[in-house]
Amino acid sequence: MTDKLKVLENLLPELEKFPAPVKDNFNKAIVEMPDALSDEQASDWLKRGIGIAGQTVRSWEAAAHFFQVSPNVISSMPYSYFVRWMECGATLCEESPTLAAAYFEASPATMSKLRSRHIESWAGLGDGLYKGTWKSSTLACRFFAESSTLLESLSFQQLENFANFLDALSHRSYDLSSECLTLGEQIFPLVGDDKDAFLSLATTLVDTGWREVKSFFEAGAKALPKIHPEERMRFLKLAESLVNNGGTNIPGTMLDISQSLSLLEEDHHYIVLGFAETLLDEEPLAMPEFIKSAPIVLEKLTILQLGRWYQEGVNTLSQNKDGGLAFFKIESSHSEAVIETLSSGIELDRIKPVMEMYCRALAGAEVKLSPTDALVEKNIGWVSNESPTTEGSTVFVPTLVDRYGTKEENYAWFKVVSTHQVAHLEFGSFIFEFERPSGLFENLRLDLEARRIETLRENQNNGPAFGEDVADSDSPGNELSESHTGLERAWLTDMQRFFDLFEDRKLSLDIFTVVEDGRLDARVKNEYPGIKSSYTQVQSDSHENRPDIKELPAREAMVEFMVRLSLQQYEGVLAPSKYNKEASQVAQIARRVLVPDATVEDTAEATLRIYAIISAIPNEEIPPDDWSDMDFDEEDDEDYVDPEDMENLLQQIGMGMEMELRPEGEEEYESIQEVEYRGDFKPELAQLMTELRMQQQDEMGQAQGEPLTQEQLQELLENSAELDLQATQGEIQESSGMFADNIMKEAGANMPQSPDDSQGPFVHVDEEGGELEPPEPETFVYDEWDFRAEDYKPRWCVVRQKMMQEGEPAYFGATLNEYSTLVTRIRRQFEMMVPEMFRKERKLIDGEDIDIDDVIENMVDIKTGSSPDEKFYWRRNKVQRDVAVAFLLDTSASTAEAIDEGKNKQDDWDAPDDPVEYMVWLRTRRGEQMRRSYKRIIDMEKESMVLLINALEAIGDTYGIYGFSGYGRENVEFYTIKDLHENFSEKVKRRIDRIAPLHATRMGPAIRHATYKLDNTDARTKILFLISDGRPQDRGYSREGVEKEYAVHDTKKALDEAKMQGINSFCLTVDKNGHDYLKTMCSDMGYEILDDINDLPERLLVLYRRLTM
Amino acid sequence: MTTQSLYKSFIIEEYQLDVEPYYVPIQDEVELFEAAYKQKLPLIFKGPTGCGKTRFVEYMSYKLGAELTKVTKNDADDSAVNLPLVTIACHEDLTGSDLVGRYLLEGDRTVWLDGPLTRAVKAGGICYLDEVVEARKDTTVLIHPLTDHRRILPIEKRGELLQAADGFLLILSYNPGYQSALKDLKHSTRQRFVSIEFDYPPIDLEAQIVEHEAGVDKDTAYQLAKLGEKVRNLKEHGLGEGASTRLLIYAGQLMAQGIAPRRACQVSVNWAITDDHSLQQSITEIISSIFE
Repeated sequence: MTDKLKVLENLLPELEKFPAPVKDNFNKAIVEMPDALSDEQASDWLKRGIGIAGQTVRSWEAAAHFFQVSPNVISSMPYSYFVRWMECGATLCEESPTLAAAYFEASPATMSKLRSRHIESWAGLGDGLYKGTWKSSTLACRFFAESSTLLESLSFQQLENFANFLDALSHRSYDLSSECLTLGEQIFPLVGDDKDAFLSLATTLVDTGWREVKSFFEAGAKALPKIHPEERMRFLKLAESLVNNGGTNIPGTMLDISQSLSLLEEDHHYIVLGFAETLLDEEPLAMPEFIKSAPIVLEKLTILQLGRWYQEGVNTLSQNKDGGLAFFKIESSHSEAVIETLSSGIELDRIKPVMEMYCRALAGAEVKLSPTDALVEKNIGWVSNESPTTEGSTVFVPTLVDRYGTKEENYAWFKVVSTHQVAHLEFGSFIFEFERPSGLFENLRLDLEARRIETLRENQNNGPAFGEDVADSDSPGNELSESHTGLERAWLTDMQRFFDLFEDRKLSLDIFTVVEDGRLDARVKNEYPGIKSSYTQVQSDSHENRPDIKELPAREAMVEFMVRLSLQQYEGVLAPSKYNKEASQVAQIARRVLVPDATVEDTAEATLRIYAIISAIPNEEIPPDDWSDMDFDEEDDEDYVDPEDMENLLQQIGMGMEMELRPEGEEEYESIQEVEYRGDFKPELAQLMTELRMQQQDEMGQAQGEPLTQEQLQELLENSAELDLQATQGEIQESSGMFADNIMKEAGANMPQSPDDSQGPFVHVDEEGGELEPPEPETFVYDEWDFRAEDYKPRWCVVRQKMMQEGEPAYFGATLNEYSTLVTRIRRQFEMMVPEMFRKERKLIDGEDIDIDDVIENMVDIKTGSSPDEKFYWRRNKVQRDVAVAFLLDTSASTAEAIDEGKNKQDDWDAPDDPVEYMVWLRTRRGEQMRRSYKRIIDMEKESMVLLINALEAIGDTYGIYGFSGYGRENVEFYTIKDLHENFSEKVKRRIDRIAPLHATRMGPAIRHATYKLDNTDARTKILFLISDGRPQDRGYSREGVEKEYAVHDTKKALDEAKMQGINSFCLTVDKNGHDYLKTMCSDMGYEILDDINDLPERLLVLYRRLTM
Repeated sequence: MTTQSLYKSFIIEEYQLDVEPYYVPIQDEVELFEAAYKQKLPLIFKGPTGCGKTRFVEYMSYKLGAELTKVTKNDADDSAVNLPLVTIACHEDLTGSDLVGRYLLEGDRTVWLDGPLTRAVKAGGICYLDEVVEARKDTTVLIHPLTDHRRILPIEKRGELLQAADGFLLILSYNPGYQSALKDLKHSTRQRFVSIEFDYPPIDLEAQIVEHEAGVDKDTAYQLAKLGEKVRNLKEHGLGEGASTRLLIYAGQLMAQGIAPRRACQVSVNWAITDDHSLQQSITEIISSIFE
């Protein structure tokens, strides 16, 4: 360094002119300056320092700082930048030495965070703040001093913005500006990624209400932490637009809003802010009120319902601004009323599990409960999104019931609706048989059918003119008669056969519906007295909502009259005076089926008679005066006898005459409005679906009966009055074709997958080939059972035993975390098993206490002179739980199938039109999707294994976990995840991670190999636990390539073999159609079919516990 | 004066039923039982809990006892020939000597005390081993020689072989609902018995039973039976066992005492059969539909 000093020697005297700190600092600095500094550079540096010091009287201070920090600064940048840094300092010093001093002082800390190229700009920022006044100088100095801290959370760009903001604010007040600088330091780390928004908001504020800026900063510091980090930006934007829209007391509002938001679940921030954003367009001032009210409203409503409340508020707002504001403040009774109504609504989602069980219990069958739109989605003929209905196996109900003011009433309605739909199943609406006699009426169905066929035949033979007439008519009924002339006709369903009797299907269906619903209502009330009062209430409410009967033409009025009658309004039912006699006949017939033992066949007979009466009535307008009340005495219990003219009427139906009776100008019969709680009744379709399903099941067992054709189905659909096909002939064919397709799909949706899908081009060994040899170590050869030959195929399959590859161990822990609640519960349950495992062990030499029986025996022995047994103590000993279990996991390709999350997937087309609703819909949907991670069956299997291991380790059973798959008999893969004798280790965790779907499912050899493994294990109880997702299948795992039975029988044989070795087997499958083959496969061992794959982990453990306790 | 004993005490082999127990045959079980008894074939009763297995044994014991009495009435002796009923509830600590008998000390001497099985064998009564799967497997083997043509009970400690008296019949009951691999009857045991399967009676009969046993009116009894039927529909959906006839009778008895029907069903049926909250709610809905 002395060298350098020498070079600089001639300059040193200059330094002496200034106060001592300058030279002192220089002397200290020169030692620390890098050696690489050339002489020239060194002297330049010194010259500049001297220059600074010499500028003004006070500038020596700046120079002192300059020297002090130089070594530090130069070490953090190339020399060229160092020059610039010096230049900037010098320029600043010209403005103000104090400023320059602050600049130099702040430099070392700042330079480490500042890019060298920003030096000038940075100096410029400080310079900009300096306006020559004392206050501005303080501000600028502080800016320099705080820069390094600020840069920790701001980019340079943002720092610039901040400086600009400070500058703008300083025009108003330096103090404020200075305070904001301090606050800025605290707040920026909190703002996260949204500093730009924050700064821009702050800058805006300066223009609009600069006095609030400080409180804005303070509020920001308090408010932001309360908000979901990802939503902070939107929060600030909201505040900004509030400012732009003339809002006042922004900081206060921000605090309030953030306070409210902090009361909400974080997930809801997104949605609530979304509403708030849209509200800004409507009325900015309402926005804060909305957010402030949100937590209060959400206490009573779900987030979805909040959307409805919000929508209502927006509507109010558009009519009346003050009213809207009051609404959002919840200061209007309208607002409260809306909340009340919404909160009293019953949502299907909430009560579904309970109601589904309820329906199952009532129906005694596997009834499912679904929202109505799920049925519409299937597109098999049901179109109403609102009406409750059933198609024979599922009860469809509305997603939300909010008809009444209280939850209780809504719930009661819901229950009545479900009960009514289940009643269709429970009391057999769909088991109608055409030829089964009715108990209450004389049976006229066959008679009528004969007559109709007769008539049709005559028509065909007799008049071509008449025939043409029929063909010209575009009524579907006449189409039918054409096709009918074949006479020897096969009906798909008995219901179809029944409705074929009638010319006007619509009318007959309506009558049938009313009578049948009436029968069910009466039956339900009789069987379930508990629900009677709600039922009656719902009925009378429905009665009030009926259309005005006086506006209906006569024939429709008669049907409407029946509806009202069936709603049990015995007093004062209006009927056209002209047809009083008919009305009372109808009433008498309809009432017959209200007895508890009435059947659907009785309904049919009643329908027939009522149809005969009503169809004879012309469908004409009735003058308003021409109506009279019909009173019925409920006690009227006379035996019904068919009136004498019934014969004539039937004759007419048989002839298909009623159409011809129709006078000119008469209106065509239109279906009457359905009764809401009874919903949509489609007996033909429902019966069809039921039969298709049964057919499907039969086919799985053994094929019998002729499968129905698409044409037959389409014909049924075209003729049925249940489809509202109001279109030209061509379109009818098109849409019925589509329905037919969908129905086929729906009924056959459960077809097993073709095994070919899962197979790639594998090494092929001819199936006709002979015995196989184990080609290498770790391979085993097993026989296979041929059930047709009733013998084993010797040495037929090669099982290749492999270790599962190892993956990441983290999967294990992550799964345990995911199921943490379940894990604790299972742990507890398994720990509870432990006391049961303690058993009193007797006849010990030493123990807890003496066993009195043994002691007495001992004494007796002594007395009788024989040698006593001294073992008379007992102890509670942990019983050796001697259980060995092998878990066999199906890892076939089909386990890669995604788990179908309910069937209510929402497609885009049901998106609401309204933009606000759309937004809500979109958000909720997105939210759902985020939660709904994509899971496959195999994932559930893996997760189950993790939980199982966790539980099994707690009780210390011997267990092994194996996966199996394969392709062809020579390649049955048997993966060891954990061998029976292996201890649980990190390796096992890693292997679980790698379980993945592979090829096909050849169960037999895998079971045999597992049996072999268990057989070589010493345990008193041995269990083989098979977890699969479908029937066994593999290439060549069949006889002649088609018989699925073959695989099932071989598997059964393998399980039987296991049993003979003293191994208990249990099959758990997630294949809903598993009943048919599992019955064969596991005839005398345990099996279970899981309804819901998501239950797998829990169910598996429950079963395991039950099985081994 | 000594206090009069407030309870009745029976010597095991003298216990018999004085009053005819109420039993409604569901199928041909009465005929089967009679035939088996005449042929001295031991029986196994399988069936869910509370469906009337024990009651059936009591009923048959009374019925057969009464028939025996009738036949032998002519004997001068006044005492009726009886058919005692010995019931043994099995548990996992039940040992062979608990069944057969053991020596006891009395003063300086030892006294042999017959176990209940031995006493039934000697007295020629019906021995009913309830819930036999609970007993240890080594214990159940003990009954093997009694159940085949030999009809003998070896008493090792005394070096005796006991030939069963004529009227002796062994009956086991067990509930196959367990599905536990550890608790199952050995085949060698099982195949010595004629099996009669029991299930809950059909709704009409069950109503009749509930009506009689609980003392409620016909309608209520029918409703209770309907409740039973509906709840049993849920058996595969999380219910381990359906509501037993016994529970339905309990509910009826509570109602007969004036408890409101819904409440009675709640406490005796709903809460008795499940702890699952959602299932309880479903059953509550069923109850509230059936009962006012």
